[in-house]
Amino acid sequence: MIEVIDLKKSFGPVQAVRGVSFTAQDGHITGLLGPNGAGKSTTLRIISTVLKPGSGTVKVDGVDVVSDGNAARMGLGVLPHQSGLYPRLTARENIRYYGELNGVSGAALAQRIDELLELLEIGDFADRPAKGFSQGQKIKVALARAMVHGPKNLVLDEPTNGLDVMATRALRALIRKLKDAGHCVLFSSHVMQEVAALCDSIVIIAGGVIVARGTPDGLRKQTGESDLEEAFVKLVGTEAAA
Amino acid sequence: MNRKYFAVFFKEAIDNLRDRRTLLTVLVFGPLFGPLFYTVMMSTVINRQVADLDQSYALAVQGAENAPGLMDYLRQHNMSIEKAPADPREAVKTGKLDVVLVVPPGYAAAFSAGRPADVQLIFDKSRESAGKNIDRARDSLENYSRAVGALRLLARGVDPRAISPIVVEDADVSTPQSRAVLLLGMMPYFLLFAAILGAFYLAIDSTAGERERGSLEPLLTTAVPRRTLVLGKLSAVTLFSAVSLGIDIAALVWCQHLIPAAKVGISVDFTPSNAVATFLVCLPFCLFIAGLLSVVASFTKSYKEAQTWLSFIMLVPMVPVLGMVMFPMEPAWWMMLLPSMSQDVLVTELIKGEPLNGMFVALSVVSTLIIGGGLASLAVWLYKREQILG
Repeated sequence: MIEVIDLKKSFGPVQAVRGVSFTAQDGHITGLLGPNGAGKSTTLRIISTVLKPGSGTVKVDGVDVVSDGNAARMGLGVLPHQSGLYPRLTARENIRYYGELNGVSGAALAQRIDELLELLEIGDFADRPAKGFSQGQKIKVALARAMVHGPKNLVLDEPTNGLDVMATRALRALIRKLKDAGHCVLFSSHVMQEVAALCDSIVIIAGGVIVARGTPDGLRKQTGESDLEEAFVKLVGTEAAA
Repeated sequence: MNRKYFAVFFKEAIDNLRDRRTLLTVLVFGPLFGPLFYTVMMSTVINRQVADLDQSYALAVQGAENAPGLMDYLRQHNMSIEKAPADPREAVKTGKLDVVLVVPPGYAAAFSAGRPADVQLIFDKSRESAGKNIDRARDSLENYSRAVGALRLLARGVDPRAISPIVVEDADVSTPQSRAVLLLGMMPYFLLFAAILGAFYLAIDSTAGERERGSLEPLLTTAVPRRTLVLGKLSAVTLFSAVSLGIDIAALVWCQHLIPAAKVGISVDFTPSNAVATFLVCLPFCLFIAGLLSVVASFTKSYKEAQTWLSFIMLVPMVPVLGMVMFPMEPAWWMMLLPSMSQDVLVTELIKGEPLNGMFVALSVVSTLIIGGGLASLAVWLYKREQILG
């Protein structure tokens, strides 16, 4: 479970996040939706501990990310905006490195890697250097890397960016599988259909504040629009005008 | 913590061993360029000098017929006399001849009368390469003059020693080994250069390169304390630097036999035990340079920018070394406080074959390690700031 309580963050004079609060439950897929520059990535980066909150609190399974960053990171798997694989290491080595860094080792690690290679269908290119990977292959390996230590919570920053239809579908299936296994999945997107197809609950963020939240159906009702995209435009538009 | 530290260390080492540029720099260019360049240069210089001494030397003379006695003397001293061209000044000016001796027609008369007889040496002082031949011609003439003068005094019943009230006797106490410093004076420079180049690419790759690839952000989301992360990286950089240094020293031990130093009366004896001592004395410098390069590379935004900065920073440790070449000073304790200068001084002592001052070694090691440790702490602090993501 990831709890975000009244989060604020500024970069110099720019207030990127201005008081965001939400909770992502276990066994739920929570979508963070918003236009470019809304503060989605900043929020996710604070949750994944690479940025420090200006004020407010983030708890991962009850552990504060600021006071006990290392313990919080143990419970987190993060897929950042860029996959950030090491081009000279193979897929397997990339995954193994993160396993070791997160305290998994020996036979347990080897077994876990094999499971992930199968789950994510990486087998074919597991022992090739990451340099020549396609975007889809990179995302898969980065995801395996994020999950290697078996974290309860997964934070995915625009995971379907640059993926083709087939790869996107496979990824959606995987995210549902993770949900069924009881994981807490928090992911960001600026694509409405994507969020609508996957999420149990949606948090819509614009200009650094939450403008709406609820289930896909709830949001349709709230705005009186049958099309979610129209609902989105309406919600974000009112915020921009305000 | 230990296991994670080694995971970072081995990943950085293996990852960078797969990079051809890094590998070539650490194993070949950094450590071998200096010794090879130096061996070839020194061998060429020495061989040419030795060859020149043995060579008989042709002297162009105008008016040789005016001074048959002088010509005989010159021939006896390994010079062959050639006829000078009609315009000797022009020949020297254009560089066709290094030096021309002109004996005027009045020479014989003056010589016979016991008056100073004029001869003229025509040369171009601005031409470096002619210097040796000019000196040789002048020396021969002066020797002849002295010999004839002594004979004239004897003929008048005067002891020729009367005109030499002071005799300067040269007593050079330098050992053949200490003269080797002249030869190997640049060696500390090559050693430190190899240590720096060995660290160069890995320091960039593990900081600015990591950021540019976008792999730094996910790395920072792993459950590794930043200190462990930085120390693992720094250790790998230090190792690469030390490997490059070690290869460089081994190459120098091997190359010294290729330099024909004995021909000019210099003995180069850089023994294996001296080589080991040199390595140990320079080892703290590897940590220092790893820290320095990593700290600077953490500030920069990209690989290219880091490369630009570090190319400049690389020269900084060379300033004291070059300073010592230009203004040689006796070793003093304060020099031991400066990394690179202290290693330079200590390695020079080792090449001279002088025993090392234990206090100096301790000061050098401790001060370099403290400064290196300070830089490492600074790197850890930089990694704890969120600005590290750039």
